[in-house]
Amino acid sequence: MNPLSRRTVLKGLGATIALPWLEAMGPMVAWAAPAKGETPAPNRMAFLYVPNGKNMVDWTPKKEGADFELTPILKPLANVKEYLTVLTGLTADKARANGDGGGDHARALAAFLTGCQPRKTDGTDIRAGVSIDQVAASRLADKTRLPSLEIGGEHGAMAGNCDSGYSCVYSSTMSWKSATQPLPKEVNPKLVFERLFGGPDKDRAKREATRKSVLDFVRDDTKELTNKLGGSDRRKLEEYFASIRDIELRIARAATLPPVQVPPGASKPTGIPAKYEEHLRLMADLMVLAFQADITRVITFVLANEGSNKPYPFIGVSEGHHDLSHHGNDPKKKAKIAQINIFHVQQLAYFLERLKATKEGSGNLLDHCMVVYGSGNSDGNAHNHDDLPILLAGKGCGTIKPGRHLKYPKETPLNNLWLSLLDRMDIHVAQLGDSTGHLPGLDG
Amino acid sequence: MFWSSLILLPVLGWLAFVPMQAAPQQGPTFEQEGVAFLQKHCVACHNEKTKRADVSLHFLKTPEDLLTHRKLVEKALRVVQSGEMPPNTKPRPAVAELDTFQKAIVGVYDHHDRNAKPDPGRVTVRRLNRTEYNNTIRDLVGVDFAPAEDFPSDDIGHGFDNIGDVLTLSPVLMERCLAAAESIVERAILANPPPPPERWMGSRYLEPGQDKPYTFRPLDKRGNQLNTPYRLGLEGDYLFRFRAFAKLIDNEPVKVAVLNGDKELKRFEITAPENKPQVFEVPVRLGVGDHRFFVKLLNPSGERNLHVEWFYLKGPMDTRPPSHKMLLESKASTEAERTREVIGRFASRAYRRPVTKEELDRLVGLAERVRKEGASWEASIQVAFQAVLVSPKFLFRLELNEQAPAGTKDGAVPLDEYALASRLSYFLWSSMPDQELFDLAAKGQLSANLEAQVKRMLKDPKSKALTENFAMQWLQLRRLKGHMPDPKLFPKADGYLLASLLKETELFFDAIVREDRSILDLIDADFTFLNERLSWHYGIVDTHGSTWSKKAKVPGKPIKGKEFVRVQLQPGEVRGGLLTQGSVLTVTSNPTRTSPVKRGRWVLEQILGTPPPPAPPDVPELDEKKVLTGSLRQQMEQHRANPACASCHAKMDPLGFAFENFDAVGAYRWKEAGQPIDASGELPDGRKFNGPNELKKILKENKDLIARNLAEKMLTYALGRGLEYYDKRPIDQIVAATAKNDYRMSVLIIEIVKSFPFRYQRAPQGVSEVSR
Repeated sequence: MNPLSRRTVLKGLGATIALPWLEAMGPMVAWAAPAKGETPAPNRMAFLYVPNGKNMVDWTPKKEGADFELTPILKPLANVKEYLTVLTGLTADKARANGDGGGDHARALAAFLTGCQPRKTDGTDIRAGVSIDQVAASRLADKTRLPSLEIGGEHGAMAGNCDSGYSCVYSSTMSWKSATQPLPKEVNPKLVFERLFGGPDKDRAKREATRKSVLDFVRDDTKELTNKLGGSDRRKLEEYFASIRDIELRIARAATLPPVQVPPGASKPTGIPAKYEEHLRLMADLMVLAFQADITRVITFVLANEGSNKPYPFIGVSEGHHDLSHHGNDPKKKAKIAQINIFHVQQLAYFLERLKATKEGSGNLLDHCMVVYGSGNSDGNAHNHDDLPILLAGKGCGTIKPGRHLKYPKETPLNNLWLSLLDRMDIHVAQLGDSTGHLPGLDG
Repeated sequence: MFWSSLILLPVLGWLAFVPMQAAPQQGPTFEQEGVAFLQKHCVACHNEKTKRADVSLHFLKTPEDLLTHRKLVEKALRVVQSGEMPPNTKPRPAVAELDTFQKAIVGVYDHHDRNAKPDPGRVTVRRLNRTEYNNTIRDLVGVDFAPAEDFPSDDIGHGFDNIGDVLTLSPVLMERCLAAAESIVERAILANPPPPPERWMGSRYLEPGQDKPYTFRPLDKRGNQLNTPYRLGLEGDYLFRFRAFAKLIDNEPVKVAVLNGDKELKRFEITAPENKPQVFEVPVRLGVGDHRFFVKLLNPSGERNLHVEWFYLKGPMDTRPPSHKMLLESKASTEAERTREVIGRFASRAYRRPVTKEELDRLVGLAERVRKEGASWEASIQVAFQAVLVSPKFLFRLELNEQAPAGTKDGAVPLDEYALASRLSYFLWSSMPDQELFDLAAKGQLSANLEAQVKRMLKDPKSKALTENFAMQWLQLRRLKGHMPDPKLFPKADGYLLASLLKETELFFDAIVREDRSILDLIDADFTFLNERLSWHYGIVDTHGSTWSKKAKVPGKPIKGKEFVRVQLQPGEVRGGLLTQGSVLTVTSNPTRTSPVKRGRWVLEQILGTPPPPAPPDVPELDEKKVLTGSLRQQMEQHRANPACASCHAKMDPLGFAFENFDAVGAYRWKEAGQPIDASGELPDGRKFNGPNELKKILKENKDLIARNLAEKMLTYALGRGLEYYDKRPIDQIVAATAKNDYRMSVLIIEIVKSFPFRYQRAPQGVSEVSR
């Protein structure tokens, strides 16, 4: 497939946000101005998830180290190769059955950032673990307007029964605020935009003041309620109060942080573009913007739900992705899976190139990012969770030496990588999920 | 959790299923066959000493042991069913052996559960989901504008999106609730109502249309009237005006009538001369909708005529919407009393129970503070309403049950009448109770009138929520919205077709409910609903079910346009019932081809309630290098040659093959890939069939299974929680009563509403968390 020209994309976005204003915005943060910035740019992290594994033969480079070759699936990333670290050999053990039977898709996503065995339940007492992005978000909460941003390219399931007795929550959610609170992702670019820049408000200050007094009131009014409820009811109420607290903090932060301006020339996206590719690219634009304006430093983006059976007719794949992933070694089906894999990587390339093109300090935004791209399934047919396809992009403010293919011993926990990324955000955690230590070698 | 594995039992023999009684079990016993299986396949590794994977099973000898270690046994059963255990390195148990083992275990639990102490279970507080939020706001403030449109989608548990345990409240959602509350009160209450709108229309633009640039347009014999349409959004007092002069003959005035449609509003005798045109006006009360105003010359003759300059309509004089008047209505004389009355009424309806004095005091206090800061009275009420709408008392269905009748029964207390009213209304309407339910609850008479209320509620148009939310989720048809058939293979399957397919099933299910038919009609019925697009898709040409090849005895009306009409189906034709509706056939297909496996599984899961166990985690490939070849049926047969797959696929595949004459978007076909279709099959018990009609006949014999499955799904939806073992007995009762009444839909619904888990909750400190 031909890569879309930038012109096509912009035309497709129509009245929605478009690229030029990203450049036209001028410095939005203290460290944006080159050279003389005394504040160094902060590190950011983004996690991009793609479902149903990969055609691994076309993913994993044969050569290790700096002269690794770009395999068919990685080829679209040629322009940012010097920013890539391909990580081979990592395992998400908690995505395995471990006695729980079928449900590899649900587990793959639920365990990906948590490293915890999701509880097998169709609804009662859902449980996984706190996810790495939320660990970071809770530590960085006071630094940015939004502690984190959770977005996606596909709505949660429309019907029950997602995967062998696992609630659909598991296969559509990547971020877990706590072991029992999954954070739903925002799929509509219009709403993401509003979240970044606030609603369509003229008199925001007045509105926020009213909100604050309403929230104060509600908290006061419902104090005694918690005592009347038990067990899981109380937990739901606590979720409610925690959400209120979050909003109050956000309102308070908004008062002290410099105002975020809607960039000149940008208009709010009108909704979800009909074309999936445009949808993903619009989300990429919004992520770039969120980092650039330092609205948040932590993003999770589920390109499609785990086990997604989305067809990709626009690249000549009319079959459902999940159906195809059970390829039975049919080379035709495998080729089509590779096509889907390549399509997704093209969207990643768009995102990374946008980051790279955005100047920040004496470098660019990608210098100050750690973008993880991968899946909790390795081969979709075998449903194995070792040797996962994991790609790290960016320099993490100089803490990563990219441009290499690193191989780790079999069964190295994926969570070791997460610990090492947290370190680079100045968040030091001894253990998380099933981690056994830190991942060596990222800095060369 | 264990419920889900228990219902795996019948899959091994659903055709031989016997309604289970609370009688001592027959068939294999655990002491003998069960223990023998453990000895042969499990305890070599899982014993006192070896304890592989920290599991030992050697001590399980009696039914009592099974009950004491229920969780362990459930898990063991699950891994055996899924083929995970025994491991590949050990001999696999024969299918019959596995079957016996499961029956032995499930038999013990079944007997126990049906004799266990009644337990109404525990329903986690339910946040209103998006649909419920929208409907509740519609009924609470009278503004129907889907304020929850921007809420994140609700998660699904146990097949439905109204399950308390999975409905979370994230900060993002809370922000949306705040924003929604703001826009709701701003739309429902206008703090600063706009002035009445005015509509001017020059006479040259009035109808009948013409192209002369008149300032004053003449009315005479040739054309004695002018008119124009108005579409009005608000009811109220309006003022109609026109400006005109007259030309008289013999000083006889020009007689003119003003009409709204064919209703005469007023007559004028006009004498105003050309140099002094006059304005004439008619005050009139108008309703919402389309109106057409006429000015008509009544006595045209020769030179006598009327010259009209313009029409004008002003109004409504009161631009506050009905919601504003309804919500702020009060006869109280002081502002303080008004505030109290208005807020008390709103909060009581929003919380779905009477607001307490303390709650009301606080809300009034909030409004008064805002008022003192300089806001208008309306604006102060808006803030108080906002606080109500973001309160957990509104966003959650709390069922605090503070007004429950005294006394407990088996550690359970009856729900108080208000909580019961909410359970009823959210079950049948996906919305809050209406005034009649509130009134009954206030009088304490709801529980005594459940049956009559259910019947009344089902007749209300709001009960379409039961179809849209319960039935569409039960049948998994919401997936149709994201389904994309391959546009190359199925160019006609556009969004309109898919939407029409969905509508057909909605209307069909709705008819079963409204006409109070047997639930077995869902499997096979002699009617459906079609529009023109579907009539082409199905090849059914008229309302009596004539097809392209076979005319009905008495031909019906042709099916035209977008509107759906009820269609009587001819006996013996291929369509009839859910299983042959395009919606179901499409949603169980892949984008490029049919999937007999998915169709078979759908029948087992959604209709019979006997889902096959998930595929074993490590299905060995048929042959690493070999690619499956031949027709779809041949490929599947190769698949089934693998013993690891055979036992389950022998149940799924034949069911699916019966529908092979329907392609992946539900259109009829005679051939697939150039080969004639073979829609025959053989069930594991040896019964043979050919095509959907013969299969439907066999399926319909499983009345109890079909009713039980629907009862389980509906009770799950009605309660908002997954079912547990102690729900088996109420389910038995619901199914028995439904069977006794010819499986009528209303009986099923009424029995659910009257059931123990629906009407009771656990006593506050009574029953401890049940887990064995």
